[in-house]
Amino acid sequence: MTATTSDSAVTVAAGAPAPAGRRAGTEWSEVILKIYIGVFFLYLFAPLLVMSLAAFNAYEYPSVTQWRGWTLKWFGELAEDDRILQGIVNSVIVAVGVIGISLPLGLSGAFILTRLQSRFNNVLYATLVSPLLMPGIILGISTLIFWGRVNVSGGLLLTILAQASFIASYSMLLFMARLQRQDRVLEEAALDLGASSFFMFRRITLPFLMPTILTAAVIAFLQSIENYNTTVFAIGGDWTLVTEIGSRFRFGLSPVINVIGVLFVIVTVAAATLYTIQKERERKRKAALK
Amino acid sequence: MRGKDVRLEDVVMRFGDFTAVQKTSLKINAGEFFSVLGPSGCGKTTILRMVSGFIEPTEGSVFIGEDNMRGLGPARRPTALIFQNLALFPLMSNWENVAFGLEARGIDRKTRRNRAFELLALVGLQGHEEKTPAELSGGQKQRVAIARALAVEPAVLLLDEPLSALDLKLRQYMRAELKEIQRKTGVTFIFITHDQGEALTMSDRIAVMKAGVVEQVDTVDNIYANPKTPFVATFVGENNVLQGKVAQADKEYAVVETSQGPLRGLNQDGLSAGETAMLFVRPERTVLVNGVIPDNSFEAHFERRDLEGAYVNLFFKTDAGPFIVHEANRGRHGDLAGAAKVGFNAGDAIVMRPGEVDNE
Repeated sequence: MTATTSDSAVTVAAGAPAPAGRRAGTEWSEVILKIYIGVFFLYLFAPLLVMSLAAFNAYEYPSVTQWRGWTLKWFGELAEDDRILQGIVNSVIVAVGVIGISLPLGLSGAFILTRLQSRFNNVLYATLVSPLLMPGIILGISTLIFWGRVNVSGGLLLTILAQASFIASYSMLLFMARLQRQDRVLEEAALDLGASSFFMFRRITLPFLMPTILTAAVIAFLQSIENYNTTVFAIGGDWTLVTEIGSRFRFGLSPVINVIGVLFVIVTVAAATLYTIQKERERKRKAALK
Repeated sequence: MRGKDVRLEDVVMRFGDFTAVQKTSLKINAGEFFSVLGPSGCGKTTILRMVSGFIEPTEGSVFIGEDNMRGLGPARRPTALIFQNLALFPLMSNWENVAFGLEARGIDRKTRRNRAFELLALVGLQGHEEKTPAELSGGQKQRVAIARALAVEPAVLLLDEPLSALDLKLRQYMRAELKEIQRKTGVTFIFITHDQGEALTMSDRIAVMKAGVVEQVDTVDNIYANPKTPFVATFVGENNVLQGKVAQADKEYAVVETSQGPLRGLNQDGLSAGETAMLFVRPERTVLVNGVIPDNSFEAHFERRDLEGAYVNLFFKTDAGPFIVHEANRGRHGDLAGAAKVGFNAGDAIVMRPGEVDNE
């Protein structure tokens, strides 16, 4: 997430300076722009820096002002904190479950809205997108009440269902955008050449959707991992990483939380870097082919 | 590969209140190069989609060989369609494109790969097998589409204006190419086009359509020389039109009283005196009168000429409308001005019952 935000900031900054002139006015505006960009990055990264530093501070509360020297002991404590570790595992279980439900549901919805030209399309679209506009708390509570009636109580399963109820809408929007760009004649051509509907879907439609399936999975994963307000109602006696951190707030935090933050930053930056390198390689390979 | 015949029996196609194809019966012979020619919106693509199975006719039946096609989808008909935009699969290599129909039939990878390579060689694309369609030129893409359609060994190949996206030179080259592939394979070709030049150069027979009605089905020569309706007369090739009333008529000839005086032509529709009529004469059958006086002649006002090199088009204005004379260039048109005498022989003109003409 951090990487994406800073990316767009860089784009804005790069786009702004017009061809450099020599007049004093231009120089001033450039100085102001540079200061603005500096402040912007400070605003963006200062909290992360403070948080990360606190993870290495030998003080029992997260702080950088009360500096008691460098330490790695909070990393050690994290390794022994079973509830946090179990929370991470639970979060991943929930996220995978959410992907498993949201993608098929989102794809079905997108197919219905793009392929069947019904006059109820507008109503259907509004209905299917409405969970995105609904406050997460309401989704969480209503999921708990609804499934309680059929004797499904709070827990990881219910959390998966609650989260999928709005994350499926994100998937649907992504799939719709992709399907609207599809050349339907390709499917006709496949049918004409003797393909069954299933073979056509597997060989033509699915490969076309593949980039979107990956994007939708990543977005669903991130949405699920970071979700708090829906999860907190549906989780029951179980916990995810986020609800565990949330509940610890009440008793005061320990720098173990900061260690988790540091690890997340490292993972995110590493993933974004790898992705960029990969893209760049592909671009070079394609350029070389031509 | 052997072609099969295609029969449409009393076929009607309606979309809601709109009738795209009026009741039509048509027989396309096995191994024939058959064109359906007409302006856009005339229903020719609807006919193609009925034969390929993307739509079912509202009434009537489509037969391919002995088999009624009703209820069979496009996947189960012995047809293959070449789409207007070709519809090559962009994520597959060229050979995978060609092998797609075989893959759908469960044929193993090695066999279908060999077959695809053979077909790509047939259309002259050796060495391009592993490339993707995006890496090919327009004409090469066209060949991949043809190879892909031939791979499923269709009895009938349907072509939906596949040349319209190509530039003129390539289009002319592909005409000969298509004709050659048709001859080699013996597959029945049904070619949909709005380009009469394309239809005339490639086809054995042509069906001319207008507004959901097949106006005439005939050999290429007959469509041009003996058009049956005013629309066919003007849509296929150029034609001069002169309107009037029949002054006198017998079985063979009719004399039409026009603004340019009485003009004689073949009485094709068996009109009798008093009926309104249209007289058609092709520009190349008319002359600038010089010495020998043809059966019909009249004064017309010379407007301009288009020099084509070996030939010249002379444009005249008459009270009946424009009149074009198409002559070999004998170097005697240079100083033409004002009024001139033009004419044609009665055997070269056709008198018909009036009808809608093509105005383009």
